[in-house]
Amino acid sequence: MKKTLRLIRRFLLLMICIVPLLFILNIALLAKATWGERSANGGWTAAREIGELLVREENGEYTLAEEGRRILETYEAWGILVEDGSGDVVWHSDNLPEEIPLHYSVAEISWHTRGYIADYPTTTGARGADLVILGHPKTAYWKLLWNTFDYDVIAGAPKTILAFLALNGALVFVIYMVLAGRIMGSVKPVVRGMEAVPEEEVYVREKGLLSEVAAAVNRVNEKLRAQERALRKKENARAGWISGVSHDIRTPLSMVMGYAAELETDESLPTEARKKAGVIRRQSVKMKNLVGDLNLASKLEYQMQPLKLENLNLTAVLRQAVVDFMNLDPEEKYPVSFQCPEDRAVSLQGDKMLLQRAIYNVLSNSQMHNPEGCHIDVCLQEGEGMAHIFLTDDGVGVDDERLKEIANTPHYMMGSGSGTQLRHGLGLLIVRQIAQAHGGSIRIDHGPSGGFLVEFTLSTMNGRAVR
Amino acid sequence: MLKEKKILLVDDEIQLRDMVVSILQQEGYTRIRTAGNVREALELAENWRPHLCILDVMLPDGDGFSLFTQLRKITDIPVLYLTARGEEEDKFRGFGLGADDYVVKPFLPRELLFRIGAILRRTYKEETGRVKLAACEVDFERAEILRGEEHLPLTAKEYEILTALYRNAGRIVTIDGLCEAAWGENPYGYENSLMAHIRRIREKIEENPSKPVSLLTVKGLGYKLVTGEKR
Repeated sequence: MKKTLRLIRRFLLLMICIVPLLFILNIALLAKATWGERSANGGWTAAREIGELLVREENGEYTLAEEGRRILETYEAWGILVEDGSGDVVWHSDNLPEEIPLHYSVAEISWHTRGYIADYPTTTGARGADLVILGHPKTAYWKLLWNTFDYDVIAGAPKTILAFLALNGALVFVIYMVLAGRIMGSVKPVVRGMEAVPEEEVYVREKGLLSEVAAAVNRVNEKLRAQERALRKKENARAGWISGVSHDIRTPLSMVMGYAAELETDESLPTEARKKAGVIRRQSVKMKNLVGDLNLASKLEYQMQPLKLENLNLTAVLRQAVVDFMNLDPEEKYPVSFQCPEDRAVSLQGDKMLLQRAIYNVLSNSQMHNPEGCHIDVCLQEGEGMAHIFLTDDGVGVDDERLKEIANTPHYMMGSGSGTQLRHGLGLLIVRQIAQAHGGSIRIDHGPSGGFLVEFTLSTMNGRAVR
Repeated sequence: MLKEKKILLVDDEIQLRDMVVSILQQEGYTRIRTAGNVREALELAENWRPHLCILDVMLPDGDGFSLFTQLRKITDIPVLYLTARGEEEDKFRGFGLGADDYVVKPFLPRELLFRIGAILRRTYKEETGRVKLAACEVDFERAEILRGEEHLPLTAKEYEILTALYRNAGRIVTIDGLCEAAWGENPYGYENSLMAHIRRIREKIEENPSKPVSLLTVKGLGYKLVTGEKR
């Protein structure tokens, strides 16, 4: 919208520049057209000069000096001299047309001076009390016969001209604005449509000046939306497929797990057989976790699992996750020590189930990689609006290559193809997805005592009390 | 006894039913009936009057949720859902449907047995009455501790805390969970009070309160009640 306003302003400016330019151009054209025009002044001067160049002879005859003849030739004019009092023509040039009268009354003189004699435009000059009249060719001059003007009109001319100019300017402006408004009226929806089309469904009315552009925008919109729908459908299908597969695996897996656990605790069986049942049980638990992780990961990826945000006490969330883990470890092969700020609650906005899942995944990751057992440290620290959760074990740890692999895998479906990601890291990738979904991050590193370290960083809302 | 409670298992998968039955029998439950669909389940619920119902969410002639609604018209026995869909965790959050608990497939027998035990203890505790601990017995019905001839009454808070621990006997209950049980919704800030109450409970139930054997501390996390019952 700002852009279209700027556009209007720019065009207006352009117009303001153009109008004076037009004005100057017109003046120049006028000057050009009148250049070399027969000087009106010239005719009158010539009449005066003729008067001076007429010589009165002894016999009362008049003769025109050579110079006077040349002037008459130049103007292609004829001349007469009318005597004062009698009104008779006392001299005339040789080229006097026949229709020119040789006697004039005072009234006629007045009329002819102002206008024409037999359609010949006249100019006059004085020779003493006598009158010189030059008759110019019929197309030499156009004379204004009624040359009187209202005094006020002439006196107010500057004002009038200014008003004319102003009115002209205003009219041009109004016309421009109306036109621009109409153009903008048809440009605006198109521009708005184009701005919005990458993000949302738009429809621009295909009417007016820019109907073709509007139609093009609509086509782009249709195409984009169709692609979005197709993509969404594909994603849904994939997530749905994963969800369906994981669902179908759950029931058979229940039986594998259930019977394996039953056999494991069946004291009538040989120890060797019970051990094997124990292996089946443990592996089926891994499969259970994998199925759950796969399902959750695909849902998080396609944002099909909206976060259920609520105000949480992070300490309580962490405790619950740790305790859930410990309750599934009755042999206490994986003792957990827990530290948190004791004087205050660490509160944040988050999805309780997902955060607990993330913590639980890190703990069971330690469990999975250390079948002989290990000690796990869980430490919550808080400061400057950030909460840090450190989960450290003293188990086998990871090598640097593997660390890099985990850090660089952007997506659980984009593993390097070898499948090692899935074998090791799906649980941790979900942990990262969950942290990111909460606007946080995780760091995976070597533990201080050689084991595995995962650090969560989440922003808290401390300062606002939970109570 | 809890092991004599009648358990109705509703699941359309015969093999899964057999397995759950086997798990329950191994644990010592003796009165188990099964149903493969809604119709059979309702029939049994009406005529056999079970004490606990384990429901699969997906059934051939309806789903577990509608069965639950119908079941509620006949009886108010506790219900435990078995579900194969992770998504349904959402529906269960807070047990808005009135179910007592849920277990997501696949599950370990231990997990299922624990949940069943917890529900039965919770629902039918008045009949079980007394629980044996290392140095005493707890009479939940009368809210008192029996040590030889001595009867030590429990305060309301002590009773709530001990009940919460007993429901999860053999498992750690978080500090926050215990505070919530005793003080309700927003339990933050009661940790010190909780510690004081735990101390007083120990004085009543432990032989040597400074070396507890029944009510154990899990440092920084919570507490665990060890009962005489086999878990």
